[in-house]
Amino acid sequence: MIRHIDVHAVLRESVSGLYADLVTRPTGRVVRERIERAMADAAGEVAVARMDFAGVGCLDYSCADEIVAQLLRNRPAVLVLRGITDGHRDAIEAVLARHGLAALLERADGTLEALGAPAAAAASLEVLVARRLAAPTPGGAFALTLA
Amino acid sequence: MTRLVEVPAQFDDRSFDQFAAAFAAALRDGGRLLFDAHAAEWASPYGLVGLLAAGAAAQRGGEKPLLTAPTAAEVLSYWARAGFFRAAAELFEIHGKLPRTAPREESDVLLPVTAVRAAEDVHAVVSRIQQRATAILTHELGLDPKATMGFAMALSEACQNILEHAGTGGWVAVQAYHWRRKLARRVVVIAVADAGVGFRESLEPTQAKRFGARWGDAAALEAALIQGVSRFRDPGRGQGLAGIRRYLARWQGKIAIRSGTARIAILPAWDDDVPLREGLPPFPGAQVLIIIPEQGSATR
Repeated sequence: MIRHIDVHAVLRESVSGLYADLVTRPTGRVVRERIERAMADAAGEVAVARMDFAGVGCLDYSCADEIVAQLLRNRPAVLVLRGITDGHRDAIEAVLARHGLAALLERADGTLEALGAPAAAAASLEVLVARRLAAPTPGGAFALTLA
Repeated sequence: MTRLVEVPAQFDDRSFDQFAAAFAAALRDGGRLLFDAHAAEWASPYGLVGLLAAGAAAQRGGEKPLLTAPTAAEVLSYWARAGFFRAAAELFEIHGKLPRTAPREESDVLLPVTAVRAAEDVHAVVSRIQQRATAILTHELGLDPKATMGFAMALSEACQNILEHAGTGGWVAVQAYHWRRKLARRVVVIAVADAGVGFRESLEPTQAKRFGARWGDAAALEAALIQGVSRFRDPGRGQGLAGIRRYLARWQGKIAIRSGTARIAILPAWDDDVPLREGLPPFPGAQVLIIIPEQGSATR
């Protein structure tokens, strides 16, 4: 089972609804704790979450670390990220690389791309395939089966 | 007895050490401080937020320090538009006739002098800069439109540096201007200053032992900016300044941080500044300068 998380909605619930930016450590911490609660009842040893960043403005390194990297450090998890901009990607890739972690990026065409450490990304993809949450596409890539 | 601290006529990062020396001497002598800016002809955002940091430090002695405002009308007008007097009113007893000019939205002042005391302030700064900066960054400086978000990220991390390390509040200002003397191009400048504990004291508990006899302001700045270390033991910390460096490398930008008696800089090819200065006049807290130049034909 994949847990779907609308990051922008979580942000709006977590801080003043005026802001669309994921900036500062305190904001990142609050958002992550809400996401962790949503993932707490995930089945299996490895939680799987599809995090949609659509609507999120600026993502700084502090928030990228607090949300994406900390989620992966705190519990075994596979994170599939979608709706991310080039700016989001810069921040997320940097924090993943620092810790040898990885996430999977769901491109607009539905195919998955590795973000971060290649070995960790391959392991994440294996989890998805083993659970039949992802499968090969005719083009040789992988995509989520639910998409 | 009142001690005089002269504000340099051209007050920017290059004349800041002259100001810091006068400030340190006056503080050492004791008594109430008078910051004399009556002859000021120009001040960069770095000068303005640095002056506020000096005011905050001087105020700790008890009485509010005095400030004589610039006498030149256009200088007064600019300082007002830049939001300086609004922030200074909390810190100084100001003397001189101040204009009623409010910080203007349509000027090159992308972000007037703004206090940063909490995470909420950083949210407000980031939100505001994205609304204001896109046109100037893309049309006037020739940056890719996608670079605006990176600019907001750099600004956010620079402001958070205050919250995480200063132990007190600080100020940020952002302005675009034509830098004739140095580059003959337009630049956007982010200036951040606080009068907090500074990098050396902030990092001392976790880093001093590692550096041994070398430990000091310069080593602390090197640890933070070059090695990306943080005062927190959490391995995820210390990425903000590294992120700023990556962004600036892409756009031939410069970052310089002054703290205590040292100043460190990451220098692009166009700048002949020195990477590290030690033995500077002591000044409280930390002062950060970020410059992003217009992207010329050689750099695009």
